[in-house]
Amino acid sequence: MPFLALGSYRIRYELDGPEDRPAYVLVNGLTQYAELWGAYRDALVTRGFRVATFDLLGQGASDKPGLFISRDDQVAALALLIDQLGNTPIFLGGISFGGLIALQYAIAHEDRLAGLVAMSTFAELSPQLLLIGNALRTGLILGGTSYLQDLLLPMNLSDAWLGPQLGNLEAVKRQGWLTNDIYALQNLMESFLDFEPLTPRLSSISIPTMILNGEFDFLTPRALHETLRIHIPDSALIIIPRAYHAFTLEKPALTADLLSSFAEDVLAKRWKGNQSIWIAPEQAGDPLVPFPPGQDHLRAIPAHGGPG
Amino acid sequence: MRMLLGPLDATGRLPPRQQTRVAAFLLSCHGAMARQLAIALAWQVKANWHTELNAQFYREAEIVSLLLRATAWEPDPELLFLLPSWEAAWLPRPLAGVADRAQGLAIDIAAFGHALHSVIRPAALLPLEAPAQDPFALALRKIEFESGRMMQGQILFLKSSELLPLRDAVNAAVESRHLQVRRLWDEMLAGIGVERREAQGTASPAAAAATRRGP
Repeated sequence: MPFLALGSYRIRYELDGPEDRPAYVLVNGLTQYAELWGAYRDALVTRGFRVATFDLLGQGASDKPGLFISRDDQVAALALLIDQLGNTPIFLGGISFGGLIALQYAIAHEDRLAGLVAMSTFAELSPQLLLIGNALRTGLILGGTSYLQDLLLPMNLSDAWLGPQLGNLEAVKRQGWLTNDIYALQNLMESFLDFEPLTPRLSSISIPTMILNGEFDFLTPRALHETLRIHIPDSALIIIPRAYHAFTLEKPALTADLLSSFAEDVLAKRWKGNQSIWIAPEQAGDPLVPFPPGQDHLRAIPAHGGPG
Repeated sequence: MRMLLGPLDATGRLPPRQQTRVAAFLLSCHGAMARQLAIALAWQVKANWHTELNAQFYREAEIVSLLLRATAWEPDPELLFLLPSWEAAWLPRPLAGVADRAQGLAIDIAAFGHALHSVIRPAALLPLEAPAQDPFALALRKIEFESGRMMQGQILFLKSSELLPLRDAVNAAVESRHLQVRRLWDEMLAGIGVERREAQGTASPAAAAATRRGP
């Protein structure tokens, strides 16, 4: 198990695939650990990419500082990992909390990146997200990791995924419960206490950017992704049908296909973001469909108008 | 070496030898925490986190009481040597880099409490086949659950604005106590044939540095 040295802390990482290939770097969400990208490693390596995954400071097998974690340290850890990849084209993807870290990295080091994928993420805390975040933190403190999982599972996954798992939820939760420590999760959550919105700096991201948002994402709804779309010039927003916040867990084949197709389009100079809006297919490999013109993509019911 | 407690004995319990050793360790550290809290509460009762410490004092006492009753005890001569070394390890110690000796001791007690409640996860050692209603398994789950709440008193204090000027010393104290508690917990578990998955790697540079800084 290789580690990077971030000052006196260790960051656990993994590299898969040939060294000379374009690389995908994937950044975990809050309660994730690197193994959860396993299906992506397999799919992306098969499509000819090198794949880098890691545990953020405070997660999985990386060190877990006792009291304080800063988001800047997470960006520094990500920079260390990307430095391991040499001069090959690098695509950076992050989900939720990891998407925020990826955005911060792209703002500071976009010259190192060929493309960016922001998934279920945000550049600023809306009042809803702020209050939900506070409530989740209180839930963690009062009820522990297991209760936080109980809150997140129905919020972030669909009935279609949860239904067959209902009799087996304790087993589903167990690895996450074992891997996550309350104090470390609390430190990660509290790294938001001094959160400054990234929105004013998003326009400095000039690289191709694919924004992925689940159709029914309750935690980070469409409006938060819209902020990314309208401020990042070469971006496109792609809505994943019937998906919730954790669509990377629920729809790995579809999402891995979107990731590899995006990178292939960028490398072939076919990508044209144009701040456009698309609907992803239900099945991996099927084409994207443009969002119907004249309809408001921020609404849940058909409505004309909208920001366009 | 196993990664979890067990195997269960013929009656479906965790082996009494494992129960005895784990319970003795937990009694030692939670008992020490209760005693230190009793002194801290008598010494000063004004900051808001003392409300948390008062609640914690009674919860620590509850853990001691629970373990005494829920454990299937058996004679363990090695405890004659182990218990004194554990008790010595939990004693408060002055901190380097903190001029006010009393404040340094308070930080160290809080750092010990933080380590005790965050590093030690006894429920994570329970095998899946452990009976849900087994008294010892229930006790370990209860201790781990309550630890997450009890830690909040330490977090409120250690992250308080009062200690911000001492942040490096506070961090070093917490990392040092984490390392100490983790090492003793892992050694105790190794003595009953259990090795935590996390313990299979080497100590981190941060932990090693904290050890060097510690008294």
